Amino acid sequence: MKIDRKIMPLLLTVLLVAFLGTATAAETIRIGNIIPLSGPSASVGIQGKKAREMAVAEINEAGGIKALGGAKLELDFADSKSDPTTGVTEAERLINNDKVDLLTGCWNSAVTYPTTQVAERYGIPFIVPVSVRDTITERGFKNVFRIAAKDSWWARDQFSFLADMEKEFGTSVKKVAFVYENGDWGTGFAEQWRTLAEKAGYQVVLDEAYPSTASDLTPVVIKLKRAKPDVVFMTSNAADAILLTNTMAEMKVNVKAIITSGGGHADPSFLEAAGQNADYIFDIVEWEADLNRIGLKETNAKFKSLYGHNLTGEAVDAYAAMYVIKDALEKAGSTDPAALRKALSENKFCDGNLQMLAYDCVDFDSTGQNKNANLVIVQIRKTDHGMDRITVWPKSVRRAGYTPVFPQPAK
Amino acid sequence: MIGYVESLLNGILMGSIYGLTAVGLTLIFGVMKVVNFAHGSILMVGMFAAYFFVTLTGVNPYLALPVVVPLLFVFGFAMQKFIIKPIFEAEKDVREPITVIIVTTGIWYVLDNLALLLFGAQFRVAKTSVTGKMLEIFDMYFLWPKIIGAGITLLLGLYLYWFLKYSRMGKAVRATSLDREAATLMGIKQNRIYNIVFGLGCACCGVAACVLVPFYYVYPTVGVPFDIKAFIIVVLGGLGSIPGAILGGIILGVIETLGAQFMAATWTEMLIYVFFLLVLFVKPSGLFGLKQDY
Repeated sequence: MKIDRKIMPLLLTVLLVAFLGTATAAETIRIGNIIPLSGPSASVGIQGKKAREMAVAEINEAGGIKALGGAKLELDFADSKSDPTTGVTEAERLINNDKVDLLTGCWNSAVTYPTTQVAERYGIPFIVPVSVRDTITERGFKNVFRIAAKDSWWARDQFSFLADMEKEFGTSVKKVAFVYENGDWGTGFAEQWRTLAEKAGYQVVLDEAYPSTASDLTPVVIKLKRAKPDVVFMTSNAADAILLTNTMAEMKVNVKAIITSGGGHADPSFLEAAGQNADYIFDIVEWEADLNRIGLKETNAKFKSLYGHNLTGEAVDAYAAMYVIKDALEKAGSTDPAALRKALSENKFCDGNLQMLAYDCVDFDSTGQNKNANLVIVQIRKTDHGMDRITVWPKSVRRAGYTPVFPQPAK
Repeated sequence: MIGYVESLLNGILMGSIYGLTAVGLTLIFGVMKVVNFAHGSILMVGMFAAYFFVTLTGVNPYLALPVVVPLLFVFGFAMQKFIIKPIFEAEKDVREPITVIIVTTGIWYVLDNLALLLFGAQFRVAKTSVTGKMLEIFDMYFLWPKIIGAGITLLLGLYLYWFLKYSRMGKAVRATSLDREAATLMGIKQNRIYNIVFGLGCACCGVAACVLVPFYYVYPTVGVPFDIKAFIIVVLGGLGSIPGAILGGIILGVIETLGAQFMAATWTEMLIYVFFLLVLFVKPSGLFGLKQDY
C-alpha cells in the first residue's frame, strides 16, 4: 500500500494528539463560571474572575487535586452580561458542549435564579459565591450551594447595627428612607426593610425604586431631600451608587446616616469615583481587608500586587468558592456529580486558605446555604491614605482605636 | 411646591443635554438616511478622549472642546470614508441600504469591546474645577456643569441651524438630503457631503462628551443609556429635525424628572413611552417632522 507512507505520519500525529487530548482531559476538572464580564456589573464580575484565576493557579501549583492523581482545575468563563436569558443559554452551553464538572456564578441574583435551575435539571453542582436573593437556596434544590449570606441576613444585620448605634451614641432615629435599584436584588432588600422598619417602629418617609440604568438620578435625590429622613438605606450597583452619592453630596442632603448594602458601594471604582462624597457612609459587607483573620494580609497583598487593588467581599467569596471546590473534590475523590454533591452537603470546609473569611468554616445546611456566613459593617472615612473602609460592627471586630461617626456631620 | 419647580428646571437642564446627544444622530439620519447604531459608542469615545485630556492636563473641562470636537469630526469623517462608503457604493441600487445599519451595529460592538479591553470596566470620574459646583437659589440646587451644558446645547443648535440654512456647504447638505441624485447632477459631490455630515454628527457627540465629563462617569458602555434616549428623542422630535431633537430631549428630561415627583422613578420610563406613542399616534412624523417618505 503506497498511500500509507504518506498518510502514516499524519495518522500517527492525529492519533497522538487524540491520545494526548484524552490523557489531559482526564487530568483536568473543568469549572464553568457564568459572571458579568461586560455590561453594568462587569466591574464586579471581573473582580470575581481575577480572584478565581488566582485561587486556581495556587491550587494547581500546589499539586492540584491529590485524591484524583494531581488533577488540575481549569476555568471556563462565560459572560452573562447581567442578563438572565444569556445566563441560562451559557449554562446550557457549558454543560452540554464544554462538559463542565461544576458551575459557579452568577453574581446578579436575577441571573443566578434561572441559571441554577438549569444546573439542577442536569444534576451539575452549582456553587454560588455571591447572589443574595433568599429564594435561590429555598426551592429544595439538591445541587445549589451558596457561600455568601442571604439578603434577609443582610437587611437584618443592617437594622441591628442601626439599633446598636442608636444605643451607643444616644441618638434616636425616627424617619427612614429606602432607595434601591429595581432589580431582583434591590427589591428583595426593600421587602425585608419594610417588615424590619415596622417592627422597629420607624416611620418610612420614602420608599423609592429606581432603574439601575438611569442616566440621571437627580429626581430621586430631590425626592429624598424633600422627605427629610434621619437614615437612608440604599441598595445600588456601582454606576448608580456613584451617581447617587455624588448627587446627594452636591444637593447637600443632610441625614444622620447612610447605610448601604455592599454591591456597588463596595466596588473599588466606587471609592475612586465618589471620593470625598462617600465620607461617613456605612456599608455592609461579607468581608473587609482590615479584618483580623489568618492569612488575610498575605492573600490580600498578593492580590493587590497582581491586580492593583484590594480584595473585595465578592472577590473573597469567589476565591473561597475555588477552595471549597478543591476540598470537595479531595473529599469526594471523584468528579461524579452525585459524589460531589454528597461531599458538599456532608462536610465542613475549613481549608487553610478559607481562614481569611470572616468566620471559621464553610458549612452548608440542608438547603445548600452556608449557615456560618456572617456580615460586618464598615464606615467609609477619609484618612491620610485617601478613602478607607474601616470595620466598625460587630463591636467585637471593630478596628482598634476607631470610633464610628454617628450621626454624620452636616454638609 | 418648590420641589416641583426645582424638578422642572433640573429636567430642562438634563433634557437639553439629552437633546445634545440626539442632535448628531438626527443630522446623520436626516441627510444620509442611515440609522447610526454606533452613536452611543462614538459618544463613549468622545468621553474617554475628554476624560484623558482633562485628567492629564488638568485644565478647565470646557477647554477640551476645541480638542475633542475636531478629533471626533476626523473620526467620523474617516469612519464614513473607509467603512460606510464602500458599503454604500456596493448597495447603490438598493433603495433602503440595510447593510449600512448592520455595519454601524458592528462598529458599536467593536468600539465598546475595544474600550473594555483597553481601559477596563471601572467607572472613572474626572475631577475638574466645575465638578460638584452648585447654584443655590431659594433652597433649590442646580449643578453648574448642567447649566453650562444646556447653554452649549443652545449654541450648538443655533450654529447648526445657521450652518444648514445659510452656509454654502449647508445648502449642499440640504440639497443632498432632499434628493441625492438630483444634487449629484447639480455638481454636488455626494460622498464628500456624506463624509462631512457623518463627521459633523460625530463632532456633536464630541460636544456632548465634553459637556458630560464634568458631572458624569466614563466607562466602556456609557453610550448605551444615552443611545436609547437619543433614538426616542429623534423619532419624537421628527426625523432629521435639529430643533426637534433639542425640544424632544427637553420634553424627555422634564417627564423623567418631574414625573418622578409624582410616582416611583421606575414608572417615568413607562410615562416616556406612553407620551412617545401618543405623539406618534397624533403626528406620525414626530413633533417637527415633515411629511416625507423615508
